[in-house]
Formats: sequence, C-alpha cells, structure tokens
Amino acid sequence: MAKKEPVIEVRNLYKIYRIGQNKVRALNGVDMTIYRGEFCSIVGTSGSGKSTMLNMLAGLEKPTKGTIKIAGKQIEKLSENQLVKFRREKVGFIFQSFNLLGTMNAVENVALPLSFRGVPKRVRLKKASAMLDLVGLKTQKKHRPNQMSGGQQQRVGVARALVVDPEIIFADEPTGNLDSHTSAEVMELMRKVVMEQNKTLVMVTHDNHLATFADRIFHIIDGKIVKVEERDHRDAKISEAATVEELLQRSARENVEDTIEEEDPEIAESDDAVMEEKEEKMEEEV
Amino acid sequence: MWIAMRISDLLRMSASNLWRRKMRTILTVLGVVIGTASIIVMVSIGIGQNRSLMAAIEESGSLTAIQVYYWGSSGNTDELMLNDSMLEEFAAMEHVKSVTPTLRFSVVMKQGAYINTYASINGVTQDVLDKIPLAEGRLPDKDADSLEFVVGSMVARDFYNEKTQKSYWETQVMPDIDFVNQPIFTVFDRDAYWNAQNGQGDPPKKYLLQASGMTTGGEGDYNEYCWEIYCHIDALKATLKKIFRNKPIPGQPTQKNGKPYAEFCYENVIVDVDKMENIAEILQTIQDIGFQAYSNAEYIQSMQQQSKTTQMVLGGIGAVSLFVAAIGIANTMMMSIYERTKEIGVLKVLGCAMGNIRTLFLMEAAFIGFIGGLVGIMLSYGISALINKFAGNLMGNYYYMGADSSISYIPLWLVLAALGFAVMIGIISGFIPALRAMKLSPLAAIRNE
Ligand SMILES: Nc1ncnc2c1ncn2[C@@H]1O[C@H](COP(=O)(O)OP(=O)(O)OP(=O)(O)O)[C@@H](O)[C@H]1O
Ligand SMILES: [Mg+2]
Repeated sequence: MAKKEPVIEVRNLYKIYRIGQNKVRALNGVDMTIYRGEFCSIVGTSGSGKSTMLNMLAGLEKPTKGTIKIAGKQIEKLSENQLVKFRREKVGFIFQSFNLLGTMNAVENVALPLSFRGVPKRVRLKKASAMLDLVGLKTQKKHRPNQMSGGQQQRVGVARALVVDPEIIFADEPTGNLDSHTSAEVMELMRKVVMEQNKTLVMVTHDNHLATFADRIFHIIDGKIVKVEERDHRDAKISEAATVEELLQRSARENVEDTIEEEDPEIAESDDAVMEEKEEKMEEEV
Repeated sequence: MWIAMRISDLLRMSASNLWRRKMRTILTVLGVVIGTASIIVMVSIGIGQNRSLMAAIEESGSLTAIQVYYWGSSGNTDELMLNDSMLEEFAAMEHVKSVTPTLRFSVVMKQGAYINTYASINGVTQDVLDKIPLAEGRLPDKDADSLEFVVGSMVARDFYNEKTQKSYWETQVMPDIDFVNQPIFTVFDRDAYWNAQNGQGDPPKKYLLQASGMTTGGEGDYNEYCWEIYCHIDALKATLKKIFRNKPIPGQPTQKNGKPYAEFCYENVIVDVDKMENIAEILQTIQDIGFQAYSNAEYIQSMQQQSKTTQMVLGGIGAVSLFVAAIGIANTMMMSIYERTKEIGVLKVLGCAMGNIRTLFLMEAAFIGFIGGLVGIMLSYGISALINKFAGNLMGNYYYMGADSSISYIPLWLVLAALGFAVMIGIISGFIPALRAMKLSPLAAIRNE
C-alpha cells in the first residue's frame, strides 16, 4: 500500500491506572500511525488495552503520557469542551451495544448527531434516510431499536457514525453482540462503505477473523503493539490461526523475559504479512 | 459557539424525555401544582382582604384628609375659632392642598304630616357640591333668592308623622315627602319654635324652601351623600345673616358683650394634605394651635401593615409547599440522570456540546415547573371560587360592608408571578442535576453493564 497522508499519529502513549497501591499499565508505550482512507483493526486478547487505546484516540480519556495527533491536532491537550467539539466535527463512533436511543426510531437516531450541529430537522432527516438506504435498511426506517434485530440496530449505528461525514470512524467491538454470520455481514458493510466514502476506520476486536477484514491489523498485547500486519484484500483469505497462537505464546514469554521481542525472527517469517519492530517503524516514519 | 443545537430540538428532546417517564413526571408536576396553587390561594386571600380594606377606606373618605373640629369654647373668652381667617392660616401651611369648611345648621322642616325638628343643613363649597351624584333636579344655585339645597335620598327617613308620632324606624315605611316638587316649611330659629310649642312667645317665621335636586341611591344602595342635606356655604351664610340680622346665630359663639362675631365659625373643617407621609406633621401643627384634629391615615397605615403581614405569612405558608415541590423536582432530575448515565455518555461521544446537555436537563426541570405552574393556576382559580362562594357567606359579610368584597382575589400579576416563580423553582432545582449530567464521563457509553 502506497504511503499516504497520516491522519492519526500516536507517539509513546502510556495509560496507567492506579488502583490502590497497584499500577495497571493499560497502555505501555504505544506508537502507531494510521493513514487517511485506511481500515485498521486493533486486535488483542481481553484486557490487552484495545478499548483503552480507542478511547484515547477518540478523546474520551486522557493519556498518562505521550502524544496523540489527529488530523494535525494534538488532542491530549484539549479541554473537555474542545474534545466534544472535536468529536462532533471529526469523529464517528460505533458502539458494541449499539447505544441507539430507545425513544427514537431509526431515522431519528441516525439524524441525532446532526442535531448537535444545528442542522435543521428536514435536512437531517433527509440525510439520515439516505444513510439508512446505504446500509440497506430501506424498510425499517420508522422502527424503534426494540423493533429491530441486533444486526439491523448495528446498521443503524453504522449509519449514525457515517451521517456526520466524519474524518475518522472508531468502532469498539462493533459486532461483539452479534452472531458470526451477522458479524460478517456488518463487517462487509463497514468495509464497503468506508472504501466507497474513503473514510478512515479504526476498529477494535478480540476476534482475529474479524480483524482480517481490515487493511492493516495492529496486534496489541499487554498495552504494546507487537505486530502490524498488512493485508491485500484482493488475495484469498489467509489463515491467521498459527500467528495468533504464536503471538500469545510470545506474550506469555515476554512476561518472563522482557527483551525477547527483538530476538524472535520466526514470527516475522512464518507469515506473509509484514511485522515491524517498533524501533524500525519509528525510523521509517521519521 | 459551542451551543450548537437548535432551541426547537432541545425543547423536543427534553419534552420527550419527560413524556417517557409519564408517571414520575406527573407526580413531580403534582408537587408543583399543589405548591403553586397554595401560594396563589394564600396570597389571593391576603389581597382580597387588602382590597376590602381599601374599599372600606374609600367609602370613609380620602386617605390624605385631616378632620379638624371645634367643639365650642368653654368660656366665651376663647379667641380660638375655626373661622375663615383660621382657614387661611391652614391653607398657607406647607403640604396643605385644600381646606374645606362645612357649616352645619339645624332647622325644623315640615311637609304635609311629616316633620323633622332637627334637620341639619350642610353648607359646603362648590367643589363638594360638584361631587354629589344627582338622580333628579340640579345642583343648588348659590345666588338664588331663597336657599336652595340638595337632599340625600335617605333624608326622608329622619322625618316622622306629627299626628301618629310614628317614625320610619317603627313603621318601616318611607315618609312620603316630595322635596323637589313640593315646598317645605322651614323654621331656622329652633329655640323660638320650641318655645312657641310650649306656649311661650310667638311662633317664629316659616320659610318656604324647595330642594333643587335629589341624590342618587335608595334603600340598599347607599352612598356618601345620601344621608344629608347640602347647600352652598355662602348661600347658607347669607340666609342666616339675613334671618337673624344682628342677633346671635344659634350654634355660633358670641363675643363677651353678647354680640355675634363678624365671621362664621365652623364646626368641622377638612384639611387635605398632598401626601400621606406629611399627614403626621400637619396634624401635629393643627393640634398645637389648639384644635381637635385627627386623620384615619395612621389607622389605615397600621391596617395596611397588618394586612401586608398577613399576606406575607400566608404567602410563606404557600412557599413552603413550593419548596417541597422543588425538592421533588431535584430528586426526579437526579434519578433520571442516574438512569440515563449511559445515554448521556452516548450523547457526549456523539459530540453533543456540554452546554447543550446542561440546557437539556434545565429545560426538563423548567418544563416541570411550567406545567405544574399552569395547572396550579387553574386549580387555584377553582379553589378561590369555592372559598368566595362558601366561606364568603360565612364570614365575609361580618367583616366588610362592601358589596363586592371577595375573600380571595387573584389579580393577573399574581398569576404571572406564580408561573414565573414555578418555572424559576424548576430551573433552580434542576441546576445541580444538570451540572452533574454535563460533567458525566462519556466513557459511561462504552461500558457494557
Ligand atoms: N477505568 C479503569 N480503571 C482501572 N483499570 C482499568 C480501567 N479501564 C481499563 N483498565 C484496565 O486496563 C487494562 C486494559 O483494559 P481495556 O478495557 O483496554 O481492555 P480490552 O483490550 O478492551 O479488553 P476487552 O477485550 O475485554 O474489552 C485492563 O487490565 C483493565 O483492567
Ligand atoms: Mg474492550
């Protein structure tokens, strides 16, 4: 994939939670660059820090240390008011539990973020309706969330994230509450829409298979990016299982020996995806 | 700048949030309804009382008037007299607007079988005459050949039948006297009349007088002027001077040598002061000269003060219930925010400005106040009507004679003030919950419960 304009640049990011005497290093020195128009997934086991990472990117939480630059703006320095404004103007968000407002029907839910921008009712309902057409919900427009299936609700969620024409869309386990078939459908939809509209999508998942829908996959273990995979979706599907097993093993070893990361050539060679060491990656981008 | 949402959207959202929890909203609104209604009803009772008081005052005369009396001197040596020179002295005082003397003179009047041996004629100024409402005839002409006067519509009551010696108070039948169209025999020298009645001396001269007009009013419809006979003061003076010539006029003080004074002496003078707060000063000055003087301003002021206190106490009782309603609103808003933590988080993640979120919750609280206030106003009109209907019959008539005095009266300003107050209470009690909602973390949206 050709080098493009970076839209998210994360440098040396730490998030440390203090619980009593204990310190939990949810993010332990993360560097990552995401380019415009990319579909990236962040994948890792439960507790590895994926959600923490995404929340930082979306400005929902402040990092302990490090910088996050999104669309040229250092967001870790913004006040809460400015962050809300930043999200309103630049960010779309897809939730695991859909989080549609129960009092509103599908169109109204999709139109909601537009109302925060002061868009007149007629205009935003029209836009929202077009978005619902795009995600394939022509007939459920007047349905309330409790009158729709999970998959349909998440389509509404996707439409809601897209309707504001954001630069970046974040999705935290967007298919976490859906069965595997519906998950695949929603993933395909997101892929398609993101490609068509040339949006940047950052998705968090613990499911390796779902992660492969992305152009690039960031593997995160214990708050560190350990591997970045690139995928060409014109190719046939590639089994990830072996790699993930190995990654897990490596993570287990890492806990014992801290420096093992650098002397592990087999992982990089065992897969046709590219794995970059952090140091290398940084040099490359400087 | 960050207030991005339209007012119409904010209104719609907060209204739909209230609608979602109908039962809870209704109960909270009910608290405000009771609070508003009790404030309005309580204050309306205070206002009703005050109005009756003011009506009573109006009936009793001007608020700024000082009544000055001269009860006659113990010895004839007394130079102090309520005469025209004294009146000029009063009029020259600062703050005195006008000085109105009344010359009262008692006569014997008779028409047909009916007689009044102690009928009072009040000589008043033209200003006073002009105020008298007439049902019939015209005002007296001061330059007429014989004395003209206006008769109060109730004056006939004071006449009795000379033959049967029965008065109106015994028969309950109004004496049939036609003051305006039939002449009345009038005797000015009452002493001579009684002497003649007792067989001493000649009967005094009778004059044939005729009233020029009759005041309005009748039984059950009284007014200030319906009890008396009024004539122009100068005409009365001239008539008396002519009739008694150089003899002393009955009721008037005489000099040491038994001669009458050149000037008439009044029994009663009304001094009108420009402002109520100057009454005390003028009153003191007049009393220092040596006259009896009093004004009902002090009494009225104390009554008004008392009425104000009552109003405040009543309003305070009402305010307590509205305060309880305010706590109810705050509680409801708090509950609703706890319930909607996640939803608020979603709004924040989706970019709803913090100020908008605060406004949203303030509006909800204000809505509760507004609706409660509206319904409360309607309720208070009902309660007020009931009070006036039932309690009014029980006690109203004992206290005040005024026909239109209602116990509870709701003026428009009270309605508007109560509504504004209810909305304000809603906003105040919604303030802390709204701040809380605004400060909630957007992360609440992410967490899966
Ligand atoms: N608010 C918090 N306070 C303390 N520790 C936290 C907090 N949020 C997250 N953590 C810890 O940080 C680590 C990373 O959490 P995070 O939610 O990012 O994991 P995750 O990768 O999203 O896991 P999952 O797949 O289960 O959602 C975990 O060990 C978690 O216990
Ligand atoms: Mg997570």
